Amino acid sequence: MKRTGDSTMYKIISESEDKNKIKIINIDKNDLVEFMEDYKGKGYYLSSITGVDMKDHLEVIYHIHNYDTHEYIEVKISTTDDKVPSLTKLWKAAEWDEREQYDLMGVIFEGHENLRRIVLPDEWVGHPLRKSYDLKKVQYISMDPEGKEHVSYNENEGW
Amino acid sequence: MAHYTELNIGPIHPSIHGILKFKVKLQEEIIEDVEITLGFLHRNAEKICELNYYADNMVYFDRMDYLDAMNMEVGYLTAVEKLMDMEVPERAQWIRMIMAELNRLGARLVGLGAFGLDMGMLTPFFHCFIEREKIQKIFVEASGGRQEVNYMSIGGVYQDFNDQIINDIREFLKEFKPYLEDIYSMFMHSEIFWQRNDGVGILEPDVALDYGVTGPLLRGSGVAYDVRKDAPYMFYDKVNFDIPISHKKDNIGRFILKVEEMRQSIRIIEQSLDKIPDGPYFNNKAKKSMMLRLKGDGEAFSRIESDNGEFGVYVRGNGTFKPWRVHVRSPAFKNISVVPVMAKGMMIADLIVIIGSIDTVIGEIDR
Repeated sequence: MKRTGDSTMYKIISESEDKNKIKIINIDKNDLVEFMEDYKGKGYYLSSITGVDMKDHLEVIYHIHNYDTHEYIEVKISTTDDKVPSLTKLWKAAEWDEREQYDLMGVIFEGHENLRRIVLPDEWVGHPLRKSYDLKKVQYISMDPEGKEHVSYNENEGW
Repeated sequence: MAHYTELNIGPIHPSIHGILKFKVKLQEEIIEDVEITLGFLHRNAEKICELNYYADNMVYFDRMDYLDAMNMEVGYLTAVEKLMDMEVPERAQWIRMIMAELNRLGARLVGLGAFGLDMGMLTPFFHCFIEREKIQKIFVEASGGRQEVNYMSIGGVYQDFNDQIINDIREFLKEFKPYLEDIYSMFMHSEIFWQRNDGVGILEPDVALDYGVTGPLLRGSGVAYDVRKDAPYMFYDKVNFDIPISHKKDNIGRFILKVEEMRQSIRIIEQSLDKIPDGPYFNNKAKKSMMLRLKGDGEAFSRIESDNGEFGVYVRGNGTFKPWRVHVRSPAFKNISVVPVMAKGMMIADLIVIIGSIDTVIGEIDR
């Protein structure tokens, strides 16, 4: 199925519904920016970004919302190399959402200008929401006089 | 020549509603830029949820927006029950709705009281907390918990309403209605309140939408969006209430709007108390002995209107007893991200009232 807008062309792989009757649109990650540009033109706004670790690949789920027609749509892409295009050029809301998903899930948003950790310290090792993250390895945080946070595996070097 | 001062506010500061850090770039007293550091209350509740049974996760949702625990539970349960195809008895849904609205009143009271406290108004704070205490007494009667209630469970609620609870709620509402007007006029007749807030914290609707802002902050900018009307969950389509909006776009407009929403919440509770039917208060498929054996498969996203805005929960199951992924769309997380825009060009003292009028809860931002 191919759709042509004014100047956009993207391919919808499949459409389905989740259990709460929200429409799911599966697209390729290379079409994401074009697709979202088209939907932004239709009056949609970004509501949330979710990363899901499926062990062999990552799924990134975007919920977009139209305040006029009350439509809520789920857009799903998948990536095997952790990289997806950034939407910060389209919506400001993407800025923090993408930082959060990078921090906790390790999704790398290409084109994000300030892609650093948002809730964990900058030096933290690993992304906790990954299924492969080792929960038994405790990391201890300390702060130097300048206010920079440091992370260590040694429990005497932090709290 | 440009000469800047950098000022750190937080992480521990009495007037920023929790532990987060603002790094403010100042030119004399004018704010040039605000940088926000989060994560001081981060517990990674999303990961903890993956390690637990579906029924156990309720307590972690209680502690997200800890002032509005009932609404957090509703948010999680609407998603999980869809995932499990679990039907909720009508009586349980009405009970949930009454509790959610009562908790909205309680959370709003804390917000308003603390907002006054930020400006040095000590009196309204105490009056707000006296009233909130009465709501918490009702929660204790129903659930045993004061703030982190853990009242609802998958497929119903933990304990049925008895006549005393219904009487208590009716009596509370009767006393609360004039009391709310007193609290309201305490603010509105204060000249300092007007001077500090009139025209401060202007948020344009297009900026608000761009940043994903929801809740009173968005309605205060003139966009009539409320999940309860937009995509009604539970029985919000069976009660009459209005969605107030404000075109003033500033702190005063938002304050008046929040109080008006409380009046609408009272309307909802009053109608719900009359409509609550007899019947079971939990689904037999999810009775206590079966609760840990509930399986979820597929994916579901639900959204509800919490005190701060649109609270969304994404749950994915893989056919086992534990969820594969839980994600929370936190309204306060989006609302706080717009502070740099609202504060730009204002005085440093205005930053405090702007944060106060947004009324965020850090437990929900950091999760």
